[in-house]
Amino acid sequence: MTIIARRLAGHLARGIVMILVVATITFFIVRSIPGDPVAANVQKLIEQGMSAEAAQQATRVLYGFQPQGSLWDQYLDYMTGLLTFDLGQSITHAGAPVTGVLAEAAKWTVLPVLAGTLLSFLVGIILGVYAAIKRTGKLGDVLAISGSLLHGVPQYVLGLLLSAIFATLIPILPADGPVDILYEPGFNAGYLASLFDHAVLPVATYALAAYGGWILAMKSSVVTVLGDDFILAAELRGMKRSIIFRYIARNAILPLFTILALSLGLLLGGAVFIERIFNYPGLGLLLIESITMRDYALMGGAFLIITVAIIVANIVADLFYSVIDPRVRSGEEVSA
Amino acid sequence: MKRLAAVVALLGLASATAACSGGGTTNTSGSGGGGGGGLFTTIDVTRPGLDASGPANPWAPKGNSFQGYNAMKLGWVKNHLTDPNQFYPGIAAKWEIAPDNSSITIHLQPNGKWSDGKPVVAEDVRTSIGLAYTTGSTAFAITPGAAGAAAEVTVVDDKTVKVTQDMSNPSMKFARGVMDTWVVPAHVWGSILPANFWDTLKTSRGDGADAEKAREEILALGQKVLAFAPPKDVSAGPFVLERVNPGEALLLKNKNFYNAANVAPDQVKFLNYNGNEQIWNYLSAGKLDHSGFVAAPADVMNRIKQAPGSNTIKGFSPVAVGMAFNQSKKPYDNVHVRRGLAYLIDRDQVTKVASPEGGTPAVTTSGIHQKPAQEWIGAELAALEPYKHDLAKAEAEFKEAGLQKKDGKWTLADGSPWKVTMNAPSGFSDWISAQENIKSQLIEAGVDAEVVTVADYPVYLEELSAGKYDVGFWLMALGPAPYDIFQRLYGVSNGWSNVAGKVKHSAPGKSGNWMGGPEEIDVEGVGKVNPGELTAELNAASAEDAKPIMAKLARTANQDLPAIQLWDYVNTQFTNTARFTGWPEQDSDLLRLTAGVWIQLGMIKAKQ
Repeated sequence: MTIIARRLAGHLARGIVMILVVATITFFIVRSIPGDPVAANVQKLIEQGMSAEAAQQATRVLYGFQPQGSLWDQYLDYMTGLLTFDLGQSITHAGAPVTGVLAEAAKWTVLPVLAGTLLSFLVGIILGVYAAIKRTGKLGDVLAISGSLLHGVPQYVLGLLLSAIFATLIPILPADGPVDILYEPGFNAGYLASLFDHAVLPVATYALAAYGGWILAMKSSVVTVLGDDFILAAELRGMKRSIIFRYIARNAILPLFTILALSLGLLLGGAVFIERIFNYPGLGLLLIESITMRDYALMGGAFLIITVAIIVANIVADLFYSVIDPRVRSGEEVSA
Repeated sequence: MKRLAAVVALLGLASATAACSGGGTTNTSGSGGGGGGGLFTTIDVTRPGLDASGPANPWAPKGNSFQGYNAMKLGWVKNHLTDPNQFYPGIAAKWEIAPDNSSITIHLQPNGKWSDGKPVVAEDVRTSIGLAYTTGSTAFAITPGAAGAAAEVTVVDDKTVKVTQDMSNPSMKFARGVMDTWVVPAHVWGSILPANFWDTLKTSRGDGADAEKAREEILALGQKVLAFAPPKDVSAGPFVLERVNPGEALLLKNKNFYNAANVAPDQVKFLNYNGNEQIWNYLSAGKLDHSGFVAAPADVMNRIKQAPGSNTIKGFSPVAVGMAFNQSKKPYDNVHVRRGLAYLIDRDQVTKVASPEGGTPAVTTSGIHQKPAQEWIGAELAALEPYKHDLAKAEAEFKEAGLQKKDGKWTLADGSPWKVTMNAPSGFSDWISAQENIKSQLIEAGVDAEVVTVADYPVYLEELSAGKYDVGFWLMALGPAPYDIFQRLYGVSNGWSNVAGKVKHSAPGKSGNWMGGPEEIDVEGVGKVNPGELTAELNAASAEDAKPIMAKLARTANQDLPAIQLWDYVNTQFTNTARFTGWPEQDSDLLRLTAGVWIQLGMIKAKQ
């Protein structure tokens, strides 16, 4: 435990420094993005029928939310706020705290991506083992080809295909947001069913897009383990096939757990295209909206939350590996 | 497989739990009586999208107040072709505008009630006007000397309010500015305004440090107004916001609405969107009862038209799109080059490619949309140069400008290459299609051309304003008020600023002057014209006084061509007749208002 505690302390210290560095870089990059949001807002209001004079006035009030002072002053304010988890106020969301806006969007990203990732992981590793064991047979070929195919198709193509098939050609599933507003929120059957219905296509897209990677990685890992001496010894000892299978799976899955932890770190980044296709109002869409509107506080907050998630995932992955691999736990060097 | 099923079930439950945490537990049963028209499904294309955490606040940039549904104004501006002061009733049942435009007296709906049962009274209007001052727009500007600003707001009785105009800088649009006011309940919103608000407002109208401080205080209140979130939506409109999630908003019928008996739908569902393609899909699937116009390629438009019940209604839209020049750059400083391009570009073809459903080719380039142009300048319109597609005339104009044609290609006067570089923001598919078509036409006529797509609209506007482009697209002819029409050509972007009735001209490249046209133009048959000053005169001119000024400006724009008017937009609305009837007629002025206004006026009926 001492080794793990020491590792954790080191990771946390490095993580905090990294977050501060990334926050600083993000702050300046975000504010260097070209484009005049004020002029754009005036034009937008004019297109909506407002007179030019009124549009300018309305925009002036709206952008009163913008942080004042020099860039350096704004930076100091931003970093001070960061220490108290205050990321400032959003312009597009009428001065709402950025943390609240991000939290609202995060749940619509995390849950579907988490569900899709775990589903693809489970299916991928199970079929990956079969693909490795049956690699000389037809089943192995079919599984390997399915993995290669789906690994090569971009997420947004899968999303568009699923949407076209199941929401337009055979309209049995919705592709228009996270839940039907007609159902009263709560633990009632209609509402839960609506949530589930609306989640099917995005979750399926995430799952199908990630499945290829998992099955190929698991197959490769299992093939490597199959050649290890302890498997040969087990076979020579006449162990049951089911026990040998468990040996193989346990040893082959270790590196995949690390990848899984890192994948979960990317959850908060969302999948912009998937969220756009299915009108899922998560962090990906929020990020695009904030960039379009040059909502600096929201943009900075969105980038920061993604960064923090990745750093945390790295720490978790490392600690997790320490826990599941006895060699790491004991401080022994392990070759990658 | 059992384990897998368990995991899936757990994930489903987790998802439900998280989503439930943000929702309320209100009853979905309709609160309104009568009608029984069911669910009306629509989309608000003029807004940036729903915001689940947004307030029911008409001033919030991304709130959940929907014009004509749960958000009400004193009256609904008709956008009449020539008269800015015509309205449909809203909170106000009737109104009287003084003959000299010095005041408007508003009589509220006698049976008007808020959704919580309290009557709509004059004090609600006064409070709403106070709130409007804090966002400082239209008649309630606090900028000293602003055109058309209100001077006094007087509660005459419980149902009557009188608002007078500051006649030191009057505007024809004063009454419009007043009637265009959001009205919210004083018993919900009143706490935002401090007790001394009206005294502060009085002080702000003076000069000196105290006045400046008062103005700052009032504008600071604006931020509170924009962010204010009433705990519950209290509406005087036909509907009340029940709840909203990130994908949809639900409004229920307001039984206290003064015309509730004629409001057909029990519920209204607003769908969210984050791109045109989602609206296309909704329309193709026949999901929407109504949607405003969204540009769509021909195949998508055909798909939409094939949906059962699909229908479009078309009418006047007071906007045109122009190909605008940066006259600080050669050869666009030469009017013959601009005229040559006007002759060379076939506007019919451009419109057919870029906006067949949403535009009609401009019959000439006058700065005014074709339809109000008939009303404003009448016979003068026929006297303007139509710039019909004519390659010979284009060639003659280019030669007049000193351009040279070598081996079938036009070069600048000194023989150096000439390439027309057009810029458009990414995502503006109709503009990009138009520019691509123009490029093809130019190249065919020997003028080298290219289209450069810019990252997005904010970048486009910033770079346009900084004078980086030679040629860009620019919205113009924004009616119906005459001043609004011409300030797009002869306003800030071309050097003229109009502050408190005083017109100043900035040199090209300064203070947003990217068009860089001449300050004075010699117009054939008219004489020397300062178009910026003439435009400013339109602010206070009566309709009759405005007509000769409009004629002069149309001639100036037609001769000098700061922009080539390409097509006039057409207001195209998508409706679906499968569930509701009673839609506005083709060309109805109601098309410039939301379907919520149609519903509250009692037009929309459930299909039997």
